[in-house]
Amino acid sequence: MSNQTPTALSLALNRHYGRSQRWGFAWALWTAILWGAWYVPGTALWSEHPYVDIPADAQSLRLAATAVMTWVHAITVFLFLLLWNAVLGKVKDYGRTIVRFRKISKWYALASLCGGPMAIFGSYMAMGFIGPVFAAVTSLFYPVIGAVIARLWYKEKISTRAAIGMAIIIFGGVVIYGPSMFGEMDPNNHHAWLGYLGGIISAIGWGAEGAVAGRAMDVSDPDVGIHCRFTFEIAFWGVFILPFLAIFTDLPIKDLIVGTVTHGNAMLWITLAAACHAYCYTAFYKSFSLIGVGRGEAIGNLYAVFALIFIAAFTLQLPEWYFIVGLVLTVLGSFVMFSESAESVSELRDHS
Amino acid sequence: MKLHQKGFLLVALSKADSLWDESLIAQTFEEYGSAGEYAENTIRIALDELAAGGLITRLEEKLDVKNGRQKLIFKYQLSNFGRSRMQDTGLL
Repeated sequence: MSNQTPTALSLALNRHYGRSQRWGFAWALWTAILWGAWYVPGTALWSEHPYVDIPADAQSLRLAATAVMTWVHAITVFLFLLLWNAVLGKVKDYGRTIVRFRKISKWYALASLCGGPMAIFGSYMAMGFIGPVFAAVTSLFYPVIGAVIARLWYKEKISTRAAIGMAIIIFGGVVIYGPSMFGEMDPNNHHAWLGYLGGIISAIGWGAEGAVAGRAMDVSDPDVGIHCRFTFEIAFWGVFILPFLAIFTDLPIKDLIVGTVTHGNAMLWITLAAACHAYCYTAFYKSFSLIGVGRGEAIGNLYAVFALIFIAAFTLQLPEWYFIVGLVLTVLGSFVMFSESAESVSELRDHS
Repeated sequence: MKLHQKGFLLVALSKADSLWDESLIAQTFEEYGSAGEYAENTIRIALDELAAGGLITRLEEKLDVKNGRQKLIFKYQLSNFGRSRMQDTGLL
């Protein structure tokens, strides 16, 4: 202690907090990049057999196909996460966490219900009844819902600066998608309310997922938590939803499953999508632990920018001018959040 | 079955008034039979996450010299919020 000056200690402390903050934001940024990349294989999958054979107006069949696709995707994500946790030496911790269902892993089960069936179903309704651009806009609002739930439920702090940053990011998202959204509005569409409802459901689903998972993550590991979350998602689709559809409807669930796993191209896109999704979600959950649900989700929202960049790169379609405006706004918003002092990020809760 | 690692760290802190991270690391190594710098860093990150979540608070910090390298170490205490979250999740 004798040769230890307060300056050296405070420098080391600043470095420590700064490092935690940088890691938190770096994980959140990875989320955005991988989430954006996910749209390329995710969209390409619809142009492969058996999905390409489904007519655009066959609503219930498209819904069933989405369920099958999501289930096979969740299983593949599970395998990538198993690889991740095996490398990190956390597989045993996964077992020790998931068995405590009544007190801990039930929150991951609820998170998977919010982020899986609820958000995806809602998003599909928004896409089907209004349009994909509308679906993407409503999803951009999920950090606000996540931050509000986290604020009300476990009193996570939202500073004025973080709130301003979030508002700029959301505004940027609206600018990116807004102009084409007006093109989708059709006054003769009497089912539009279903789309609006779906949009709200998906935003609530994704927003609630972070806040619900955060509760279990308080006392468990984020890498393990995401693994639990996907285990439950596989169960929801595979044990409840798909068997229910197969037994009580005449939808060709079995044919769709066999069709998916026997088509190499479909499986290739699913594997690529799952790799993006697995590590996007891992980064997402890790960022929550370090910078909080509100900030993690807001930075993660930059996915809209990366999605358009990746889609432009692969389809060679150049973005419109307003995309650049939206890009500048979302990047500016994330810098507003990033410039917050390191110490305030290290203490996220009002409790002490 | 053993507790998961973060659960173990919280339980260890709930049994003592406060603990230095060095002591928490030693206890965790003994519980899981682990060792090495990687396992140690994993525990430090878990403690950072618990502190960021407000479940544990840092009472004191000092610079320690280990193997010729300066290292920042912390003394942790379970917070009231941490205690109530442990009760919610069946750890207490």
